[in-house]
Amino acid sequence: MEFIQLKGVGKSFNNVKVLQGVNVVIEEGDVFGIIGQSGSGKTTLLNMVSGFLEPSEGEVVYFSRVDHTPKNLNKNFSKIKKHIGFTPQHTSFYPKLTVHENLIHFGKMYCLDAKTLETNAQSLLEFTGLKGQENKLAEHLSGGMKKRLDISCSLMHKPKLLILDEPTADLDPITQEEIIDLIRDVNKQGVTVVIASHHLDSLERICNKLAIVHQGKVRGYGQMETVLQPYMKDNFTFNIRVGKDKDRLVNLIRRLPDTKIVDQGHQLAIISKNPELAMVALMRIIKQENLYLHDLDLHKPSLREVLTKIAQQEQ
Amino acid sequence: MNTLWLLTKKNLRLLIRAKGSALIVVFAPLLIILILGLSFNNSAKYGLNIGVYSPNFNEDATSFIGKLQEAEFKIVKYNQSTSCIEDVKLGFLHTCISLPDSFKIEGNTQKEITFYIDPSKINLVWMIQQTIEQKMNLKSQEVSQNIAQNMIGAMSDANSKVSSGKDKLGQIKDRSSSAVSSTDAAKSNLAKIDLALSYPQYDTSITTTFGTHLKEKLNSSNSKIIAARTALNNANISGAERNTINGLLTQAGTDITAASTSLTSGNNSYTAIVNLVADLNHDLISAQEKLTNASVQISASTKDLEAVKSSPNEGVKALDEVKSTLDQVNSNLNAQKITDAKVVSSPFVTKIEKVAPENTYLNYMFPALIILVIMFSSLLLGTTLVMMERNSPAFTRNYFLPIKKITFILSTYITTLILILIQVVIILLISLIFITDIWTTLIPLTIILFFAASVFTFLGMILGYVFSSEETAILASISLGSLLLFVSGVILPLESVSPVLRDITSFNPFVLCEKLVREVVIFNSSVSSLWVDLGLVFCYALILFLIILIIESFMHQHLVNKIFHHHHKQREADKLEKKEV
Repeated sequence: MEFIQLKGVGKSFNNVKVLQGVNVVIEEGDVFGIIGQSGSGKTTLLNMVSGFLEPSEGEVVYFSRVDHTPKNLNKNFSKIKKHIGFTPQHTSFYPKLTVHENLIHFGKMYCLDAKTLETNAQSLLEFTGLKGQENKLAEHLSGGMKKRLDISCSLMHKPKLLILDEPTADLDPITQEEIIDLIRDVNKQGVTVVIASHHLDSLERICNKLAIVHQGKVRGYGQMETVLQPYMKDNFTFNIRVGKDKDRLVNLIRRLPDTKIVDQGHQLAIISKNPELAMVALMRIIKQENLYLHDLDLHKPSLREVLTKIAQQEQ
Repeated sequence: MNTLWLLTKKNLRLLIRAKGSALIVVFAPLLIILILGLSFNNSAKYGLNIGVYSPNFNEDATSFIGKLQEAEFKIVKYNQSTSCIEDVKLGFLHTCISLPDSFKIEGNTQKEITFYIDPSKINLVWMIQQTIEQKMNLKSQEVSQNIAQNMIGAMSDANSKVSSGKDKLGQIKDRSSSAVSSTDAAKSNLAKIDLALSYPQYDTSITTTFGTHLKEKLNSSNSKIIAARTALNNANISGAERNTINGLLTQAGTDITAASTSLTSGNNSYTAIVNLVADLNHDLISAQEKLTNASVQISASTKDLEAVKSSPNEGVKALDEVKSTLDQVNSNLNAQKITDAKVVSSPFVTKIEKVAPENTYLNYMFPALIILVIMFSSLLLGTTLVMMERNSPAFTRNYFLPIKKITFILSTYITTLILILIQVVIILLISLIFITDIWTTLIPLTIILFFAASVFTFLGMILGYVFSSEETAILASISLGSLLLFVSGVILPLESVSPVLRDITSFNPFVLCEKLVREVVIFNSSVSSLWVDLGLVFCYALILFLIILIIESFMHQHLVNKIFHHHHKQREADKLEKKEV
């Protein structure tokens, strides 16, 4: 069921179009990822979805969960924003308040009653792993904890839509994983999530839908597989580690059609437009030449690679 | 040293590139100095509002007012001194001058001119006093000159009259001298009269001789008479008659005979008598001559004496004139009723009356001090709180809160008010030690301070919204506060700036609030009498609040910029990281 729809949305700043022709539908329960290079318009798109920015052209439509009637998000923002939880890239709470005080403060801003406030706060402390930290000043929390608190603050009023801008930025890999898991858990509780991030691997893990933004345009949009599909064929990579027979193998593989080989030192990367044929041919060569194969890794194109590919295509 | 220079260069570069900071840090003090310099670059005392009360605005009063107007003072005439004094209290007038009925000095009493001043305007009161007294001294000098001129005129007149008397006395002296000389001449002339007659020794025997001679003659006559008798005897006459005639004849004959003899004899004769008479005649002629001469001399002396007689008359006349002149001089001098040197030198005495009760400087300074505290506290708190909120990490999140903008604004405003309230309570409690009667004005004072705090808080908040960096905004607040303070008349009197600028600065919220507090604390004025200024301050607060609402509506764009700025910084950092890798 549609939740938010962007219809031909465009945005200009000082007569410079930073975003144009965006048609995207975010459905209830989605974990919607927005990816793109820096300056591609990714954040602009996120801000459009959040209602923070008003589009220069087109409109952002919000579908009421009650009667499913479409409403212009920006025109009805004052009413709709109570259903939105927004977690910006940088910490967005009062550092001089304790964790608990922050949660209660933002909860109160949504006019929650005292009981609900405390219930929600305790529930979120438990849920986000902040239990035990509630009396600490927010500024004394670690980076990961701060992000948890940020997300908690956004969830205090139990929004239907959680928008996260670079939620894993500036975090170590383990904490990134934890935050991603947390977001997934939030989504499991029925909250629609929209994430813009540079950490494509993380997004790849949790997003079911994706929009790839490049140079102000959405270059890919839809289910993750759908988005990746066009880039699958020429982006399968075999990473082969062969011992002393590497040079011989390189010479044999070079004879294969539509195949490129990249010598990466300790391993060879074989890129083929037809991965199935390439695989068969490679196996045959190994068998015929009786080569010793240490490791073979079939690599599906990642979002990063897709993005890189898109960038290269544009160039 | 090189590192030091590099760091300094970096600091300067950062400062200049932060345009707002550079503008405020570098130009705000210059701008303040420039404004103050242009404002106070003169020694004139423009636009002092002076109320003049006179029972009758006569020529002297008008002349005095004219002198004040020459000095660009704005003069307001009053027919009642109470109204004039009241306007000083209300701050419409800088001073009220109560003039005497007349400026004419008619005795040894100095005329009193009273100045009513507001002692709470500490920095101005002396200037006003000096300026007005300077003008008053000019008038006093003028009157003093007139008095001195009159006295000098009288003295000059006395001098000329005494000179004239002196001449007359000279004439009298000359005439007296002339009389003396005339007297001497008369004396000399009289001395010249020869009254000495030669007095010869007349011979008295002549007379004896003459007698004897006459006797002889008579004897002779007698003989003849005898003879007659004889003849008679012979005559035929009775014997008796004969005898009588005989007897008479005998007697006559005897005498005649004797007399005839005396007349004819020598020295004892008639000749001698003639000679004697001749001699006497001669002597008489000589005496006559001498007497004639004496008569001439006496005649001449009479003339001289006549002259001498006329001199004292003229002298008396001249002395009468001199007396008259001296009487006139005396009268003129008596006509000078001003004889006291103090009155002559200072015909007017100035009296300074304070329209406010006598208090310490702290009392007078209290309104300015409390508004000063409120102004800076409100400005800085307003700016700081807005900047705190804006720079708070939670600012972005706040945008998504279902809270109206006005609620955020009012929360900042109320926070400031609470903090100001604490400060004011502390100040008032401390003030109670020095200003014990402040309780009586607590309600109106609270109202005024509430409005003052509102205006300055909103001003501070506007600065908080306008500037992007907290340091710049605070510096701008301090600069604005300093500017408002400098053009408030608390440090430098506004009366030194041009009238146009002064009119503008009279709308300075600091000036308005300080005036309101002064009226309430020092003059115990009621709020109702201050409704115009209070209304103006309220309007300021309202307008500033509306401006904040407008600015707040633009803040959305600022938030966008802020977010995009963050992203830009992030991109730059990413690029840098990639390059390093």
